[in-house]
Amino acid sequence: MRALARWVWLVAANDLRLEARSRGRLVSMAAFAVLAGLLFGFALDRSALAGRDVAAALLWLIVLFASVGGAGRTFDPDEEDGAFRHLLLTPIPRHGLFLGKMGAHLALVWIVTALSFVSVTAFLGVRGVGSPLAHAAVLLPGTIGIAAVGTLLGRISRHSTLGDTLLPVLAFPLLVPAILFGATASARVFLERPWPEISGAVRVLWAFALVAVAAGAALFRHLTDE
Amino acid sequence: MSRRARVVGLALTTAGVAVVLFSHWMMAFWVPTEAAQGVVQRIFYVHVAAAWSCFLAIGIAALASAAYLWLEDERADSAAVSAAEGAIVFGAIMLVSGPLWGRIAWGTYWTWEPRLTLTLLLWFIYVGYFLVRGSVSDLRRGRRFAAVVAVVGALFIPLIHVSVLHFRSLHPGPVVLKSEGPTLHPDMLATLLVSFLGFAMLFLGLFTFRYAVERLRWRMAAAAPSPGGGDGGFG
Repeated sequence: MRALARWVWLVAANDLRLEARSRGRLVSMAAFAVLAGLLFGFALDRSALAGRDVAAALLWLIVLFASVGGAGRTFDPDEEDGAFRHLLLTPIPRHGLFLGKMGAHLALVWIVTALSFVSVTAFLGVRGVGSPLAHAAVLLPGTIGIAAVGTLLGRISRHSTLGDTLLPVLAFPLLVPAILFGATASARVFLERPWPEISGAVRVLWAFALVAVAAGAALFRHLTDE
Repeated sequence: MSRRARVVGLALTTAGVAVVLFSHWMMAFWVPTEAAQGVVQRIFYVHVAAAWSCFLAIGIAALASAAYLWLEDERADSAAVSAAEGAIVFGAIMLVSGPLWGRIAWGTYWTWEPRLTLTLLLWFIYVGYFLVRGSVSDLRRGRRFAAVVAVVGALFIPLIHVSVLHFRSLHPGPVVLKSEGPTLHPDMLATLLVSFLGFAMLFLGLFTFRYAVERLRWRMAAAAPSPGGGDGGFG
């Protein structure tokens, strides 16, 4: 288990190091998150709709679009110079490779989620956002599930002739349970509802995250046949 | 196509069509009319039977896909693609009959409640299965990637069930698969089971034909020269 954790950390740290050097994926995901919040702020007629009523849905949609967009490029740095083939020759188990790749993508998703939260609440003029801890408790399992599904399917879309257009077609149907339960739970946090009204959806989000991570770890070896 | 596949497929399909026709006679002339919804409730016997057949097809596609990933036996892949096509067809029947029933029973064709939404998404996931299969240039890799999509898609069925338990909705709760036993009128239950039997036999008959055709394509591809150096299989 300790060896696996070390492999996962090595892969994730390597991906994050590459990202820190290029910053391409993070900058595009972050810019999308901020700009989407800004555009939603312009597009919504706030004399008819209160920002707090729609903030949860917009937050989750921005996180979804930014994450799936970023997931499509998870394997790009490795593929471009053939490094992924060499990575497969190392003793790192395939599930360790998946967890490492997913971990690096998850770190970016968390940064983008924090930016999206600030962007949505600021541009929609939301006052009284609810408990930050409760928001974190809802967003944590949801983003884990989103990152796991995105990483797994990003590998498939990388080899498809449909390219980036295939990833949303595959990912969105799979990710809607996370959006459905996540947006419901976040909306209740924004409205400062008591935790028992939120906890059911959070349990489903954890189930979703566990299924997504377990499925990704188990199935990833079938997507690495180089 | 082998003689056995022809005989089994023809027998199942013919029996399936006959039982489906008989179930429609039961729906029209035999089963009592439901008190609250009236005649429109009879769509239930088509809708639920199609839904169960769709889930049967998804189960077979997922199991066959898992077997293909595990054993790399192309017969499992042939079974998976045949069942996935069945899932698309019976899923489409379910998704068309549901809104027709809902329009009269609820006053709306569609409501964004979790079970409906997730069932539609499950259908889209299997559309994605065929997109992956057809869009990866390495055929063997495309089949394996599609198998991964089928397995992941099937893992969502428990989430559909959980969503029903966690959300109140317009969609009726289960009336047959309940821990305390079915609460449906015995005649209604009999009609539903006959309808399901017909749909299931029809699906298995079409599945048998489709599987035999897929195996035939494999054999033809294996016999043909492969100048591109590929494995000669079909997407």
